[in-house]
Amino acid sequence: MTISLAVPDILVARAKSGDLEALEALYRAFETPVYNLALRVLRRPEDAEDVLQETFLEVVRSIKQYRGEGHLWGWIRQIATSKALMRIRHDRVRETEELHEESVVGAGAGAGAGEMAGVGVIGASAGMSPGSVPAQIDLERAFERLSETSRAVVWLHDVEGYTHEEIAEQMGKTVSFSKSQLARAHVRLRRMLDEGVAQ
Amino acid sequence: MMHCTMDDLLALRAGEGSAWARQHAAGCAACRAELEALYQRVAQLKALPARRPARDRWPAVRDGVLAERRRRRGRWGVSGLAAAAALAGLLVFRPFWSKPVDAAELARVKQQSATLEQQLQRYDPDGRVTSGRSAALAAALEDRIAVIDGELAQLGPSRAQARPADLVTLWQQRVELMEQLMSVHVTRAAYVGL
Repeated sequence: MTISLAVPDILVARAKSGDLEALEALYRAFETPVYNLALRVLRRPEDAEDVLQETFLEVVRSIKQYRGEGHLWGWIRQIATSKALMRIRHDRVRETEELHEESVVGAGAGAGAGEMAGVGVIGASAGMSPGSVPAQIDLERAFERLSETSRAVVWLHDVEGYTHEEIAEQMGKTVSFSKSQLARAHVRLRRMLDEGVAQ
Repeated sequence: MMHCTMDDLLALRAGEGSAWARQHAAGCAACRAELEALYQRVAQLKALPARRPARDRWPAVRDGVLAERRRRRGRWGVSGLAAAAALAGLLVFRPFWSKPVDAAELARVKQQSATLEQQLQRYDPDGRVTSGRSAALAAALEDRIAVIDGELAQLGPSRAQARPADLVTLWQQRVELMEQLMSVHVTRAAYVGL
């Protein structure tokens, strides 16, 4: 995913003054990355659209507090992440999702000490190039079958580049929690890919 | 034989692997392959195509922003009116001021402002579809009205005594802006045939 997120300073200044056209221009510039982040974490398009809307309402309310330190996308992404994680916290755990995930993965999917991470079980997908369509479809489907919390940790850490410390702070958890969620999620992803989750 | 766990591999990827894990991975083809698969998986995740929202949520965001601005203006307006009424009373009943305020003019512009507010309510701008240009213009006018309401609310008796004409001037400015706001809404309503 490569999207230009450069925004002219004059546009930010106009948005800070409350100019609706400038605010819409900001929305157009960032709607896709915000929606994409929310969708990857929450999976359901309607939830992601709600997060998109909530994020930009917050952006409009708070843009005067943006001091220009760091990239604007980093600031907006922080708001979007917070809104998406808040939705996870407020939602009850979706039992069906968890059950489905467990049924796919099977018991004992932990990444605890002594577990062999991958001896002799490197699936065909591992050899595919990152951009190959079958590999992407398989991985996308496997990723969607992770729990919301696992998806959030994987996406924020591996794709958005958040540190475990930042994730822990955003989620109100410990660094160990974030690390263990990431490890468990990767074990599950690997197993699902090896077992052909796309079929 | 003990192999690297996923925790070990993730730590190696982050450059934080233990000495044992580094040494083991260097000599174990299976663990090196698993580490490579981890890199591949992350690269694939990063390469997933960007999804775009099916519906345009900007109109909803814009309506939310405008509604918040109206609420804010309403809050300022109520407090502004209360403050202005108190000040007007002071101005009328304090004959020792060197330059008495034109109470009749103050009453006139306040009445004019109230009438415009009522007319604006009848148009129900919140419940109508509007163009982006009209909405932007209306929002800019509402912001300026909110600023004046804020000044009215913050205009204390001491300042009013010192500069009583300010009160009338502010109300006159408010009326002018309200007229412009009405014009925006009426023009749009005529344009769309309402």
